Amino acid sequence: MASSMNVAKTLSSVESWLQELKSAKKTALVQDACKKVHFIFTSGTEMVEEYDLKSNELLVRKWKTKTTLGGAGKWEFEIGEQLCLAASLEVEPLRESSLNPIFTRKDTKQSFQWRIRNLPYPMGVYSVTVDNDNRCCIVRTSNKKYYKKFSIPDMDRAGLVLDQAAVSIAHANNTLIIMYKKPQEILKMERLVQQEIQKIKASKDGDVECNPS
Amino acid sequence: MAASTAQKVAEVREVTRMERIGAHSHIRGLGLDDALDARKVSQGMVGQVEARRAAGVILEMIKEGKIAGRAVLIAGQPGTGKTAIAMGMAQSLGQDTPFTAIAGSEIFSLEMSKTEALTQAFRRSIGIRIKEETEIIEGEVVEIQIDRPATGQGAKVGKLTLKTTEMETIYDLGTKMIESLTKEKVQAGDIVTIDKATGKITKLGRSFTRARDYDAMGPQTKFVQCPEGELQKRKEVVHTVTLHEIDVINSRTQGFLALFSGDTGEIKGEVREQINAKVAEWREEGKADIVPGVLFIDEVHMLDIECFSFLNRALENDMAPVVIMATNRGITRIRGTRYKSPHGIPIDLLDRLLIISTSPYSEKELKQILTIRCEEEDVEMSEDAITVLTRIGMETSLRYSIQLITAANLVCRKRKGTEVDMDDIKRVYSLFLDESRSTQFLKEYQQEFMFNEVTEDEMETT
Repeated sequence: MASSMNVAKTLSSVESWLQELKSAKKTALVQDACKKVHFIFTSGTEMVEEYDLKSNELLVRKWKTKTTLGGAGKWEFEIGEQLCLAASLEVEPLRESSLNPIFTRKDTKQSFQWRIRNLPYPMGVYSVTVDNDNRCCIVRTSNKKYYKKFSIPDMDRAGLVLDQAAVSIAHANNTLIIMYKKPQEILKMERLVQQEIQKIKASKDGDVECNPS
Repeated sequence: MAASTAQKVAEVREVTRMERIGAHSHIRGLGLDDALDARKVSQGMVGQVEARRAAGVILEMIKEGKIAGRAVLIAGQPGTGKTAIAMGMAQSLGQDTPFTAIAGSEIFSLEMSKTEALTQAFRRSIGIRIKEETEIIEGEVVEIQIDRPATGQGAKVGKLTLKTTEMETIYDLGTKMIESLTKEKVQAGDIVTIDKATGKITKLGRSFTRARDYDAMGPQTKFVQCPEGELQKRKEVVHTVTLHEIDVINSRTQGFLALFSGDTGEIKGEVREQINAKVAEWREEGKADIVPGVLFIDEVHMLDIECFSFLNRALENDMAPVVIMATNRGITRIRGTRYKSPHGIPIDLLDRLLIISTSPYSEKELKQILTIRCEEEDVEMSEDAITVLTRIGMETSLRYSIQLITAANLVCRKRKGTEVDMDDIKRVYSLFLDESRSTQFLKEYQQEFMFNEVTEDEMETT
């Protein structure tokens, strides 16, 4: 999350974000029925986006920045989630139990969408408010079991103001779904990004990069 | 319940754990007062008043941190406390100043050139104090649950529930984390912060909501508000890393190639230059500070002429640490040449050094050192035994008499005594030869040892 925030500080409009995307070094690959695009920005930050081949939905967007001292950082997920197993407890001192609520983002064509699994409480418990001073949304529970602040990096990049009216929530199967309707500017920006990505020639999985003569 | 019994077991284990005792484990500092005058016996140091005062002056110089690239030579006979003085300096520098100790012969390796080894040692001794963002968890402990497997063997499993005023989260604990939680005696109602990457726990105090529990609590118990908002926070912390560590981080091969390359080895010059530039940039921006440390090279006469000329140049760099060298040689051959020089160090390098000399201990000082070592090694010794041991120390060497302490203690324990007495010392003295008696013995019986069939003249011709 933090890496995307950094980018947001230097850019604040749709044009400059598109410019940034254009100047980034891009490679694409088709694998497991999705198109994976890898960006390396001029700052050295890396970003990976994965699009579903059929529906063209964005499944994953993750970021990696170098640490202050120059070491390799970890992938941080903006959209989607890490599917491989987390490191064992031998390596990590502690980790969040799998019983806890799990927060992920999964967008649809018309809206940003977050899903919080493992939340068994009834609908009336939850409230989602927009905090425009800190540019984030806040999920609260009246039984004080769950609390989460999250920003919408796409809105930061486009320099748009958050709107409480765009937020709606639903709850089913122990999952809280938060939706934020994408404004026109975002939809337009996504179309332009799509055009840019279509231009990159994707290599098929198993393709050999060089020509063995 | 399980947690409390586990706690008891851990405590018992800690008390009985044997610490290994090193040759200089009794040194805790230089033993100087505020005016840099050496106290007669303090912080494990005895005698060598002049040398310690000189070391104290150097120490002030290092603490100021302004002067780079000074070098100090501690010269003196074997067993006069050269290494002890260097250790004392390291102890009084504190945690934050890097102190690297190497022996002169350590730099000769087949995997690394001599100058690379020296450069690494130099860069290990320069610290960079820098801010880094880390993830911390801050909250009130709701519940700790530690389960031991029914068989008694195998890893323990643990769960920790933390909360803020807004939320609650359950964490799975690793074995190390369980240990440090029991060690810190964390219990429900405590407010703690945990560094997520390292697992370091800091207790902030007790929660105000627990203020009415009339538990037995110390007068120092501090009450704190339960934190607000999210449990996990990003926080900037200042810590010190050495230049060498940054070198290593940046020279690791990235990506899958890292699987095939060894860990370090030689670090490229370009990487170092880049890092120097980066550090200079951070410094100008006020993001980082340089903490010059100390490089201690013991047995410096083992370095050869190439190393000495490298040192000459390396000391002129403005990022150089303070270098302390120690030697027990007099006028001897410089390694790698046919020339002789004082301490086996070329004159041009000697000229750059401040030289501290140590002198042999007096009988009284010797006695004090032996008493301190007896304490350190947990040995009870009678007054006359110490007197005898001191006499032995005067006639042979300090090291030999220190070695006799533990040996005599073992002899004493075998005869089921509680205090080492004179007879025990006499016995080990007859059992173990010191260096001069061994030489004497060899001189007398050389003819009966192996390979003495050949006469002196023949040996010289071969």
